[in-house]
Amino acid sequence: MPVGGRKVAPVAVEKETATVTSTISGREVELTARWNRMFEPRVLTNYGPEGFAAIAALPGGESLEWCYGCGKCVPVCPVDMVGDYGPRKLHRKVQTGTELLTDADLWLCTACGNCLRVCPKQVDMLAIMPAVREAALSGSTVPAELQDVFEKTFRQGNALGQSQRRRAQWADSAGVPVRILAKNPAPVDVLLYVEDYWSFHPRGQDAARAFARVATALGIDWAILGAEEKTLGDSQRLAGEKGLFEALVEDAATTLAKYDFQRIVTPDPHAFNALVKEYPARGHSYDALHYTQLLAPLVGQIRWTRELDLKVTFHDPCYLGRQNGEYEAPRTLIEAIPGVQLVEMDRCRQNGYCCGGGGGGMWLDSFTGDHTTERLSERRVREAAQTGADVLVVCCPYEVSRFTDAAKATGHEDLRVCDIIELIDEAMRDGTDGV
Amino acid sequence: MSSDTVAVIGGGPGGLRAAQGIADIGHKVVLVEKQRYLGGSPITQKYYGLTPRGEPAQPQIQQQIDLVMANPLTEVRLGTEVVAVDGEAGAFTITLRTEAARDETFECGAIIIATGFSHFDPGRSTQMYGYFEFPDVITQPDLEAMLSEQRVLRPSNGEVPERICFIQCVGSRDRQIGNEYCSKVCCGVASKEATELREMLPDSKVLIFYIDMRMYGYWENEIYWPAQEKHHIQYVKGLITEVLPKGDRLLVRGEDTTMGRPMEVLMDLVVLSVGMEPSPGTRDLARLAGVRQNKYGFIDAPGTPLDPVSTDREGVFACGAALGPADIEDTVSSAAGAAMKAVGYLRSRAVAKAN
Repeated sequence: MPVGGRKVAPVAVEKETATVTSTISGREVELTARWNRMFEPRVLTNYGPEGFAAIAALPGGESLEWCYGCGKCVPVCPVDMVGDYGPRKLHRKVQTGTELLTDADLWLCTACGNCLRVCPKQVDMLAIMPAVREAALSGSTVPAELQDVFEKTFRQGNALGQSQRRRAQWADSAGVPVRILAKNPAPVDVLLYVEDYWSFHPRGQDAARAFARVATALGIDWAILGAEEKTLGDSQRLAGEKGLFEALVEDAATTLAKYDFQRIVTPDPHAFNALVKEYPARGHSYDALHYTQLLAPLVGQIRWTRELDLKVTFHDPCYLGRQNGEYEAPRTLIEAIPGVQLVEMDRCRQNGYCCGGGGGGMWLDSFTGDHTTERLSERRVREAAQTGADVLVVCCPYEVSRFTDAAKATGHEDLRVCDIIELIDEAMRDGTDGV
Repeated sequence: MSSDTVAVIGGGPGGLRAAQGIADIGHKVVLVEKQRYLGGSPITQKYYGLTPRGEPAQPQIQQQIDLVMANPLTEVRLGTEVVAVDGEAGAFTITLRTEAARDETFECGAIIIATGFSHFDPGRSTQMYGYFEFPDVITQPDLEAMLSEQRVLRPSNGEVPERICFIQCVGSRDRQIGNEYCSKVCCGVASKEATELREMLPDSKVLIFYIDMRMYGYWENEIYWPAQEKHHIQYVKGLITEVLPKGDRLLVRGEDTTMGRPMEVLMDLVVLSVGMEPSPGTRDLARLAGVRQNKYGFIDAPGTPLDPVSTDREGVFACGAALGPADIEDTVSSAAGAAMKAVGYLRSRAVAKAN
């Protein structure tokens, strides 16, 4: 502004107090300087390419800088719906000086991949996040609960830290014999890679036993690895533990090489993803299927014994649907069950809403809870309840426990959560066992 | 007396292309240029690289000049101004004035106005950018000249600038200034210059503050995406409101609209992306030839979009930035169109007469 014929720049004056008018009483409230500053937006001063350069130096991190700010990713980001996080927002934060390596945002992404589906610039959070997280592992900012799971996986070969000797314990009460290859290494058609949550989690074990009965009834020639099985660790990989993942690949490939099987079938979409995408890139190719893909072509051979009279809704697992393109096999199975009516949620198929368990989210519930207003699983359960369904059916081992907890937390205790295989098993039993 | 000569007024990229086209199809052409040299803004302003691919401006334009000079049907009048246009379509009389000699006239059947644009004068900006106050606030054409000389230095102290920003839409899209239109080329030119800066000064950090990035057609993938992805230019949505001195640097202040927060960033060099306005020559020729101008002073083409080069006066055509903001590709395209229209007009008259 001109001052006495000279041009003088205005000087910023920091307010010591501010007056706020209450919208209820109309009274004016004075705020002291300390509080006042908390209401003032912080001026951004630190613009530059440095943050992107540091991330681009990590293999996989190149594309964060490519964002041109269209914002298509944010409305489909499941985390943004319960918090303040999204790829576009992250791009701007890094451009304005946020150090992603030490920021909480680094651990909020569930690697669901819905942003990449819509991104015109192909900014790939599925590559960026693991790269930056891996770099963060050497620091001290890894959330403790996730670090704990990494260590359990490293020591025990499973995320739950259970003894490997108990890998096949679930099979004892399956009601049908379950063949373990170490005891009977004869050639087999289907090797079931049970993975951690069907092996050890009580509700996962229910589903494993149901699978055993259904597969046996269908005359499938199948077996498991038992105590020799370790997790394939795809979620640990996406959570940043690339080194652990590589070690697990070598372990699993060595174990699998001992046996003669035609197909490898898993209930875990994360394991399925590793087998179809990560393993071939490392020279290990298998004929891999998700269990719904094994059973869907056989659905005509199932001998149903009862009608269930249920309205169900189905949650697409991110790593079966969006990441690997399988939307039909689970639906074929659900719709074949007598008396079952499938109603879709608004967000389904390609646009399925993440349960919050992917990319390490399964093991970050309390950390994520500190940075979001609600769990993703709770948000999803409320959407499921809105359909009026009696049952939320799933086909990812992470989800039964997540959604069961979420149903309780959101007051939807009457919404039953179960795996598709459990409903199939139920509709195949004779009517005398009281289920 | 009707004439089969076409007069092309203005010797920039558009006038050169129009003159070439007319001579190529066998008509006489008189190319009139006010400056003592041909080439127009790219030469006058010492442009460095041409959009979209960054080819060196001077040799590219020289090629066009050589093509014009090589054709015996072309008469080039340098250092010459048009001071009157008399007669009517098919038989215009144009009066020329040079510094040295007395006024002279020539006859022509059709006229193409290729008088181009001027860069917006940042002194007229409503924003406080201090172009005439701070030596380190420059415009896009100023930077073009620096790039051409391979010496990009801070005018204030001769040091190599480390932090450089562009401010878009200076003098464009502004009701108060009176230029409500988008100048169309400045987003691409800023990104092109930013890329050239990063190549010339690899240690520099370059930011572009914008309202909307308008990178139409192939400019998106040929200029914008490489600028961001390969040359690490930082695009920030939100314009700068004011430039303030801070020590020996400049503090640019504005709102980061996607963050919803104020920003204050220190810069060594601030480049104003000034828009396009009708040149004085365009305004003069429109008046002399009696053709209608739009509210901004550019020449009106009432037949647009399917005839974007005919003015409201029979036998008078226009091309390039005389018609409105245009890059070089648009300019030579419309110049070729205007050449075809002008010759077509003369031939159809001749045919009508013979019948």
